[in-house]
Amino acid sequence: MAPAPVAPLPRRDDDARAALADTARRARPVSAAHERVVEVPGPLGALIPGGGLRRGAVVAVDGAAGAGVTSLVLALAAAVTAVGEWAAAVDLDGSFGGLAAAEAGVALDRFAVVRRVPPDRWATAVAALLDGVSLVVAELPRSVRAADARRLVARAREREVILVPVARGGAWPAEAALRFRAAGGPWPGLDAGSGVLADRTVRVEIEGRGVAARTRSGGFARAGLARAG
Amino acid sequence: MTALPAPERALCVWCPDWPVATARRTQPARVGVPVVTVQRVDGRAVVTAASAEARAEGVVAGLRRREAEARCPGLVVVDADPAADARAFEAVARAVEAITPRLVLERPGVLTLPTRGPSRYFGGDATLARHVLDAVRSVGVDAVRVGVADGAFAARLAARALAAAAGHVVDPGGTPAFLAPWPVAALGGSDAELAGLLVRLGLPTLGAFAGLPASAVLARFGPSGARAHRLAAGLDEHATPPAPPPPDLVETAELDPPATRVDEAAFVAKGLADRMLDRLGALGLSCARVVVEAETEHGEHLVRCWRHEGTLTAAALAARVRWQLEGWLTGAASDPRRPGGVFPTGSECDHGASTAEIGEEAFATGGLTLIRLTPEQVVPADGRQLGFWGGDAAARDRADRALARLQGLLGHDAVVTAAPCGGRTPAERVRWIPWGDARDDGDHPDARAAAWPGAVPGPAPARVYAPAVPADLLDPDGRPVAVSARGEATGRPARLTCAVLPGGGGPIRAWAGPWVHDVRWWDRRGRRRRALWHVVVGAGESDTDEVACLVGIEGGRASVEAVYD
Repeated sequence: MAPAPVAPLPRRDDDARAALADTARRARPVSAAHERVVEVPGPLGALIPGGGLRRGAVVAVDGAAGAGVTSLVLALAAAVTAVGEWAAAVDLDGSFGGLAAAEAGVALDRFAVVRRVPPDRWATAVAALLDGVSLVVAELPRSVRAADARRLVARAREREVILVPVARGGAWPAEAALRFRAAGGPWPGLDAGSGVLADRTVRVEIEGRGVAARTRSGGFARAGLARAG
Repeated sequence: MTALPAPERALCVWCPDWPVATARRTQPARVGVPVVTVQRVDGRAVVTAASAEARAEGVVAGLRRREAEARCPGLVVVDADPAADARAFEAVARAVEAITPRLVLERPGVLTLPTRGPSRYFGGDATLARHVLDAVRSVGVDAVRVGVADGAFAARLAARALAAAAGHVVDPGGTPAFLAPWPVAALGGSDAELAGLLVRLGLPTLGAFAGLPASAVLARFGPSGARAHRLAAGLDEHATPPAPPPPDLVETAELDPPATRVDEAAFVAKGLADRMLDRLGALGLSCARVVVEAETEHGEHLVRCWRHEGTLTAAALAARVRWQLEGWLTGAASDPRRPGGVFPTGSECDHGASTAEIGEEAFATGGLTLIRLTPEQVVPADGRQLGFWGGDAAARDRADRALARLQGLLGHDAVVTAAPCGGRTPAERVRWIPWGDARDDGDHPDARAAAWPGAVPGPAPARVYAPAVPADLLDPDGRPVAVSARGEATGRPARLTCAVLPGGGGPIRAWAGPWVHDVRWWDRRGRRRRALWHVVVGAGESDTDEVACLVGIEGGRASVEAVYD
């Protein structure tokens, strides 16, 4: 669903073929189960080792309030709904911005938000979501037992679902293939009493394991698809 | 229209209020008292079947449980159990099968069979109907009605006619005249919405509806409307006669070790059902009738045909196959010849051996070794068009199930999806719709895109607080910033403190506003007057730790309405 980059017409056959293959890959409606990686488009995808999220992996996200955590997880959810799959989010304080999700490029009819999850049923709710959708954004309650977390990791791996635990200040008490940290960024557009708030670039630090152990950092902005349309 | 052949003549066996009858068999104390079965639909308990005593008190299917109990004190409420109903109905199916092997189950309580062969054998439709009635009554089911007409739909209505307790036969060719006086609500099921609309259009009877030109109905109501129109006119449900499907669509699974438990067999059958519908779907076909076959380790061969109004979906097919396997695997327990059976009448004679298709026993005496699903009638899939991009029905079903389960756990409106709508503030510009409810975006896309004077500019905030979180917006001297009636601020905002901000707040680095929102000024109760600001708060030491938020001041109190996260 991401807009294809506007490029000059390819001169050679090889270029044309590559461009065609690229277009076909983007336009393919459903990604088959054996395709283990969900590609994340744009500059965010360029930061992620492997260019996308591996199915069954845990991607832990943290950052302070207002630092862009929600924009970051919405970008990940957008990548999943863009290939025709379902995503869901556990929204503990009922404040997810639906319009921001649309602006991030999330297909709203395939993005379920689960509210009013009591802390003692949090693990049950996340486990139920892991049975049904391809990506689960789970905001962590004040305390998560390590045993629950490990069980959810195992379930995500078994069901090949991407689990995105979102810790605000706290930490995800189990393993994670990737750890994202949203680090905010300056807000352009406003001045002392004048101007219009413009979209910013969120700085994000990504830490992986193994071959991807090097910490990468960079910025990404929202897709802004819905606003244009 | 004249090119269409008259539909195959059919006989319909209808056991009224079958779920109630099943509930009474298991607990005889329920006989003679008003009984209803209820099922949870969208988080509400809804009556699915009512006994005659309950109906006399005004309780009908579709009422909410509470209302039914209010209308009829002393009502016995039983949870609906379609699997148990199907299991009990298997005994009726076996009794009818003794007369003709080609019967088709529609749902527990209703089955149809083509009458051409058996009528000729027994010497007429009326005699056949009498034989069928006797066979069903012989297994202890007294409340049974039989109707014969051209086509399964008309036969079902004939079974509902007054005289049907003794078998109601509509003469060949007389079906359109028989159908004409029925109300359009008789279309039932998936056409209930259409029926309501037809009544409002001034077409209260099937005859009036059938009088419309078929092409006009197709143009206005689509394929499902055209199907209802054909039914109302006494024609066949399908415009083109369903073709026998190619043999390679048959799905077979061999079970080793044999399945003796229902859940094992049902699990395999579910996979078969999904595969069969996938392959049919790939050919652009859907299935209206399916034959479920099983073989047991003792060499028994069990066959049963299920049909569905419209076409079978994956979930509906899987449920029917499961019911059938339950009926076979637990059939021994409900066998009339064994003590403690569901129908302990003892007068049933075993006709099972009279047909070549059916084995000695019409239930499994051992584990199942083979399950086979054969689509018997395939029709072009015109009813449901999947999305062009990403129309993955299996994934949709999976998500549906998981989210419905969560709704059961947390409440219907705890699982929501967003639908954008017109408005000025971030909270107004989105509606949250419970999962499963229609996402009819009430607002026309133009209304969303239309100019909303005074709308909050800029990107959409990722966190919207409703209700807003109380905050303090202070000027450089530490006094709260207020906004005058003319929309002028008393000072420049210098500091914002609020619980949702990191560190509890901080100095304001940039701001815009105030914009005065005076909405619904004509409405004394709905009127809201407030001023909105965009502020960027420096949350930490570094220059880049900035938090943008939307602050509202209403009645002299400041609050954070949204954070750009």
